[in-house]
Amino acid sequence: MSSTDETVQPRALLSRRAAETVAALFTGAIGATVVIGSREYGTGWDSSGPQPGAFPFYVGLIIVAASLVNLVRGALAGAGPVFVDRLQARQAASFFLPIVAFVVLTVTLGIYVGAALYLFGVMVFQGGYRWWTALAVSLGVALFFFVVLERWFQVPLLKGPLEAALGIY
Amino acid sequence: MDNLISLMHGFGVAATGFHLTLMVVGVLLGILVGVLPGLGAPNGVSLLLPLTFSMDPVSAIILLTSMYWGALFGGSTTSILFNIPGEPSSVATTFDGYPMAKQGRATEALSLAFLSAGFGALAGVVLITILSTWVAKFALRFSSPEYFAVYFLAFASFVGLGGTSPFKTIVSMMLGFAFATVGMDTISGSLRLTFGFNELLSGISFLVAVIGLFGIGELILTMEEGLRFDGIHAKVSPRDVLATIQRMPRYWMTLLRSSLIGCWMGITPGGPTAASFMSYGLAKRFARNKEGFGKGRPEGVIAPETADHAAGTSAILPMLALGVPGSATAAVMMGGLMIWGLNPGPMLFIEKPDFVWGLVASMYLGNVVAVVLVLATVPFFAAILRIPFAIIGPVIVVVCFIGAYTVSSSMFDLWLALGFGVVGYVFKKLDYPVAPLVLAMVLGDKAEDAFRQSMIMSRGSLAIFWSNPLVACMTALAVALLLWPLIGMAQDRLRASRAVAPVG
Repeated sequence: MSSTDETVQPRALLSRRAAETVAALFTGAIGATVVIGSREYGTGWDSSGPQPGAFPFYVGLIIVAASLVNLVRGALAGAGPVFVDRLQARQAASFFLPIVAFVVLTVTLGIYVGAALYLFGVMVFQGGYRWWTALAVSLGVALFFFVVLERWFQVPLLKGPLEAALGIY
Repeated sequence: MDNLISLMHGFGVAATGFHLTLMVVGVLLGILVGVLPGLGAPNGVSLLLPLTFSMDPVSAIILLTSMYWGALFGGSTTSILFNIPGEPSSVATTFDGYPMAKQGRATEALSLAFLSAGFGALAGVVLITILSTWVAKFALRFSSPEYFAVYFLAFASFVGLGGTSPFKTIVSMMLGFAFATVGMDTISGSLRLTFGFNELLSGISFLVAVIGLFGIGELILTMEEGLRFDGIHAKVSPRDVLATIQRMPRYWMTLLRSSLIGCWMGITPGGPTAASFMSYGLAKRFARNKEGFGKGRPEGVIAPETADHAAGTSAILPMLALGVPGSATAAVMMGGLMIWGLNPGPMLFIEKPDFVWGLVASMYLGNVVAVVLVLATVPFFAAILRIPFAIIGPVIVVVCFIGAYTVSSSMFDLWLALGFGVVGYVFKKLDYPVAPLVLAMVLGDKAEDAFRQSMIMSRGSLAIFWSNPLVACMTALAVALLLWPLIGMAQDRLRASRAVAPVG
């Protein structure tokens, strides 16, 4: 929040210029990939009109060109304000990394087990809850989603070994 | 007159018990996603959309649009009570809404917001009722070049009127087009840009992109800024609401002006966010006494709210009649229409009048339902935000990923949503607009088809976009909008050099 910024000068982790550069290089790389990928299908003209690769080819070219402009403009704009400071980076990472763990768990163990473990972990390690409170909430949430999606809406979600062992399919 | 008869027929379709129940459910879900940080209207509709694949299109669209109205209302609730806009389009509501709430006038601020929002929405629906048939009839004359020109115009207006760096808008938009081309090519049937990955054969779903960009990305951003809810308690009593209704006519000028701004910005793809800011700015400029703005002026709540809802509602008009959505949420809904096998555009009015007029009638009913429900449930939804974020945050994340998975039951989509989340976070921090990306992903195939068909018609000559007065007008307007930022930049350069010249 702004009030903390004034009292303690946060140390910059990444300048705005660096972030602009990385973003422009990233979008430029996607553009280049699209250009190269589309050349495989022909970018010219054949008996049936423009070839399939033509539209993405020019779209890719525009991405590359506009990314170059952003790259130059970002570099010319000076270092600029802080893109992200250490405190912000820590807060963002402590939220983002568990999400990555959640996706890994979901892919291996199924979405319900993944969600319960993720919620349990965040509540205990970041929320400071006692383990039995966290257990009750995380199991309750997972069960709630199971009933709503599988029973009411009949939408089957990703399931893992636990559901297979319990014979729920 | 025809429209009125069709509308009455539409009420017959919409006003069934089942559909009214769907409206209530939709509005409540919408308020919920509007109130929760990181979940907004585009994201909420994307999450719900896969669950409607098996529903009848009329019922499905009633559910989704009701959710949209609910989300718009929910966004204003958190703006006023917590100074946290639940939706980007309710940022302007915080300027005067939160100060009002702090002064103990939370009830007044909330009822003002909801009632003026209802007024704005009504203005939007009336506009749709009057204009839609006419626009659709006009659009029947369109063939491929005209369609491409309309799309071109829509995208050029993002670049010209977007406010952020035009090159960033272009990058974001073109990335959307590039993502849309992945997978099967609709004309030749060949597979494009899959680079040998089986996961990419079916393309990249815009729903997964929306969930990542708007959901995960927004959440990371919220967390990074250090989320704090120090809300103000509010109960809405019927007597206070009645008192506010009595005072509403006093602000007729603000209401009318804001509705007009909202309708205009909703039909052109300016969107609700731009509309609410513009309306707030104009209310301030036209006010006889400018004191008090930002400190709790009723006009400061009425103006953005009316425009926000008028824009949100009228964004449905170009989506239905032309197949060009006016906002990110309308884009998601249009994607839904295409998934249900409907083809948005003028033919929809001829082929599926039940659907069109059922939808329009449901917009009247849905907004009334929404105003009543939101007034009744504010304390309950405000209480949800008092649940610690260590619980509610992960639950929102789980909901987002469940939504991403239900799109096509693909594990790959989970990773994709995560990736789009990072992109959304970085893009928002660097002022890359994400709405054009979503719009381009939804419209990509149609725009490409229109372009390729035009090229076939003209044997490869771009002159076809100038071949008749109608298409030439649209192309000229689009080119002018594209060049608009360049002119602005040149002017700044000129002014700067003039200012420097006498010194040097």
